[in-house]
Amino acid sequence: MVRHTDNPVTGRFMLLRRLARRWWTPVPEPPATLRRGPLRPGVFRSTARSTRLTSQVGLALGVTFAVCFLTGLLSHLIQHPPAWFWWPSRPVHLYRFTQGVHVATGLASVPLLGVKLWSVHPRLFTWPPIRSVAHAAERAGVAVLVAAALFQTISGVLNISRWYAPMPFFFTAGHYWVAWLGVGGLLVHIGVQLPVAGAALARPAPGPGPDGLSRRGLLGGVAAAAGVITLTTVGQTVRPLSGLAVLAPRRPGVGPQGVPVNRTANGAGVRTLASDPAYRLLVVGPGRRVSLDLAALGALPQHTADLPIACVEGWSATGQWSGVRLRDLVALVSTDPDQATVLVESLQPAGRYRGSTVPPEHVRDPLTLIALRLGGEALHLDHGYPARLIAPNRPGVSQTKWIGRITVRESP
Amino acid sequence: MRTRVALITAGVLIMGYATAGSLTDPDLDPAGVLLFAVAVLVGHDVLWMTAVLATGAGITRLVPRQHRPAVRVASISAAAITFVAFPLVVGDGRPADNPSALPLPYGRNLVFVLLIVSGVTLLTCLCRARRRRPTADRKKSERPAGSGPRTAGR
Repeated sequence: MVRHTDNPVTGRFMLLRRLARRWWTPVPEPPATLRRGPLRPGVFRSTARSTRLTSQVGLALGVTFAVCFLTGLLSHLIQHPPAWFWWPSRPVHLYRFTQGVHVATGLASVPLLGVKLWSVHPRLFTWPPIRSVAHAAERAGVAVLVAAALFQTISGVLNISRWYAPMPFFFTAGHYWVAWLGVGGLLVHIGVQLPVAGAALARPAPGPGPDGLSRRGLLGGVAAAAGVITLTTVGQTVRPLSGLAVLAPRRPGVGPQGVPVNRTANGAGVRTLASDPAYRLLVVGPGRRVSLDLAALGALPQHTADLPIACVEGWSATGQWSGVRLRDLVALVSTDPDQATVLVESLQPAGRYRGSTVPPEHVRDPLTLIALRLGGEALHLDHGYPARLIAPNRPGVSQTKWIGRITVRESP
Repeated sequence: MRTRVALITAGVLIMGYATAGSLTDPDLDPAGVLLFAVAVLVGHDVLWMTAVLATGAGITRLVPRQHRPAVRVASISAAAITFVAFPLVVGDGRPADNPSALPLPYGRNLVFVLLIVSGVTLLTCLCRARRRRPTADRKKSERPAGSGPRTAGR
């Protein structure tokens, strides 16, 4: 009697084996007559390309993309906080730092991505184009990764330049979801290429090619390009370097009252409402409500704080803001102002950013103000006259301007 | 192998999450995202890479061999800087009522930065040429008069 030592072959097991075999089975090669143009062998002759160069640039690009992804995800969570998320009001400049890093690393990754894609460009014309179903899937994955990387870099550059016409989608949502797509594609790519990249990084480095441009020379060139881009742009958030920021979309000191503006009163459609002498700030609590005109707001205890406007677009500028503490206003209508959550609404009749929620840790922070003045003068209309929110460690988009109503919700 | 399987599995799951999220986000038009992604992919692989390869070929043809590394490095910087500055130079994002947005003369500034890159490259090439020349001159003067290179069989 013959005994089989293998596992019994069930119907499902057979199916899986058959699928696995089909996955790796070579597919027929296309006719050689189709191998023309860049598909011909030896078309790409640059000796500067190597697996080692690709791996090293890929490693650097992986680090910059990881930094960009994490800082961008943080910014998204701060703006759209889920129930489990908590963001402190201190350190005051933390968001300014993380978002400055997000944009700076994104810009510095431009030459890295360019050289990385150049180094693997010949593989786009590999022959045969598809060797098996597995090979086709891997190539499709690489295409998704490359498209996502280009998408993120180009849309990011367009966004900080405020050029939205070429993007047929809402930037914030598109940039967010494609970031996840890119990270997923990157993990798959690392998983597939890990042995190749590991071997290339461990191998001794080849010498310079006939053109004399060594791998180190090329990497130095990429670093120099990233350095020049950083030097000419990072001054939009690092004030001591603002003199060098000749290609920065913003200058920290340029704007009404020395602070840049993102959305003007005209753009928001509030000029008439905000300039109305009959302006009242309505503060609504669980049990009562108060209506305050500018004189009443001015009669409340006034405080001054040096706080930055830190924009999601990567620029930031510090101003000296004066006004009423948000906690003091909340205390007018709430018995427990330290545990209150506040919804601050603008006079803007509509708009995605016409309101923002202020969590308890920001409400009770003594630096959180309903500002009435900037640099000792009444707020410029474009900075949110007659009253605006200014709080530490928050994105500029959440520092609501032209405030008309404050709704206090006491936490259970 | 386990690490690779874990990476690939996590990557596929995250890509699935991204696809599902972009299809269900009411703020997002997936067709617009797809259009932009395809446009940038094709634009890069067809237009941009053709321009890059043509520039590389031009450098090989026009620039003396000893200066090619410096010129290639300068080209990388120039291309990257121009890419970042291009939307600023176009200036479509500068609203009429907000002088604090895009407040600088970006066209002039880009030319200025590119001139600095060119200047540094020129200096590098000159230094390189000067370093090579004395060596070549010394070799020439050290060689006895009338002596030519030795050839096999002499």
